[in-house]
Amino acid sequence: MKRLIIAAGIIALLVVASLYLTRPISLSAGSLPDHPVNLANGELIFNAGGCASCHLSSEDNDQPPQLGGGLEMSTPFGIFHVPNISPDKTNGIGNWSALQFASAMLEGTSPDGKHLYPSFPYASYTRMRIEDVIDLKAYLDTLPPVDQQNLPHDLGFPWQIRSGIGFWKLINLRSEPVVSLPADNVLLQRGRYLVEGPGHCGECHTPRDWTGGLNTERWLAGAPNPEGEGKVPNITPDEDKLGEWAEADIAYYLKSGFTPDYDTVGGSMVDVQENMSRLSDEDRKAIAAYLKAVPALK
Amino acid sequence: MTKTIAALLVTSLFLSTAVLAADDVIEQRQDLMEHTGDAAKVVGDMLKEKEPFDAAAAMAALEVWKNTATEVGDLFPVGSETGHDTEAKSTIWSDREGFDQRIDDFSNAVDEAIAANPTSLAALGEAANPVFKTCKGCHENYRVEKDD
Repeated sequence: MKRLIIAAGIIALLVVASLYLTRPISLSAGSLPDHPVNLANGELIFNAGGCASCHLSSEDNDQPPQLGGGLEMSTPFGIFHVPNISPDKTNGIGNWSALQFASAMLEGTSPDGKHLYPSFPYASYTRMRIEDVIDLKAYLDTLPPVDQQNLPHDLGFPWQIRSGIGFWKLINLRSEPVVSLPADNVLLQRGRYLVEGPGHCGECHTPRDWTGGLNTERWLAGAPNPEGEGKVPNITPDEDKLGEWAEADIAYYLKSGFTPDYDTVGGSMVDVQENMSRLSDEDRKAIAAYLKAVPALK
Repeated sequence: MTKTIAALLVTSLFLSTAVLAADDVIEQRQDLMEHTGDAAKVVGDMLKEKEPFDAAAAMAALEVWKNTATEVGDLFPVGSETGHDTEAKSTIWSDREGFDQRIDDFSNAVDEAIAANPTSLAALGEAANPVFKTCKGCHENYRVEKDD
């Protein structure tokens, strides 16, 4: 009897401990710095992050981006319906505070304190500076509100149980950089920030392990195409891959969409490249420098 | 019995010519795309100021694109979906209308570029950039991206 009580006690402790360790984390008001909003920087981050690639609800290039969402993403876990992140107060995120937005971006936690699905790439965004996140929210608030309600995600068992995401985060949510680089190289540091953080390049270019997290041993070494046909390329400086490209070639590709032998960008990378073309030459140079500095993998 | 064998032989002959034809057409379109890219390099190197501006060479490149626009649509017949490491995506056949629209976009942009008859580097940029956009426009949804 005594043993049974002890065993029950241990199990209860384990349950409490795992519930504690996997709870959704929201940022506290104290973590919000006193930061004067910079809208131009917010727009830069918007482009670097490629938010429009998934959240755009209307393809009119002459208008400011309408971020009503609605895109269906078919995955092995089920169908995700991309949410409305326009400043509409009912269907979008117009009512979210900067703090709530930062909790979503950096911790993957919704304003009502629930885990968000990592199809929203916060496992990369968690490496962002909070000042950039504040600027991004301010920029999003300047865009047109879209009065569009989207369907909830349609996921199979057990993926619809959000508390499971807590375990996923415990294993896969890391805010430290993936690649260690000399701290005094400003260009490389900037490149790493853009690629590993807002640019979330690793989400497609790095293969995933059995937990659904990125296999950082194979960082940027290419992966199956989540959309089906083909493959997402290896972008490490292996001699057969980007090793053949000069730094200027990579920067030019991101600016123009042309490879050194004048093939063009294709597939989902077209949207990404067009977003990258809106960055400064200096930022594209930083990304190129970083891609030449990561470990070369076959 | 001999009839059956004869019939089989004839059928296999037909099949092999069909396969050969598919191979041919895939190679043809791959060559066409190579030449199109070579022409893009001529224009691109000028725009990058790697090579000096040469109006005649630029016009020759635009004419290569014109030829591509005329020929490319016929090089994706039903039956040429696979083989020869083709990068053609299944959407070409499942959304033929959209694919043909992209070719029209390309063709129109090339016509405008030729009509503009660019005689300066700036004019070449203005004429060629809308064409470049249509290259990506088609490769976005109708080409399979491979790691090579």
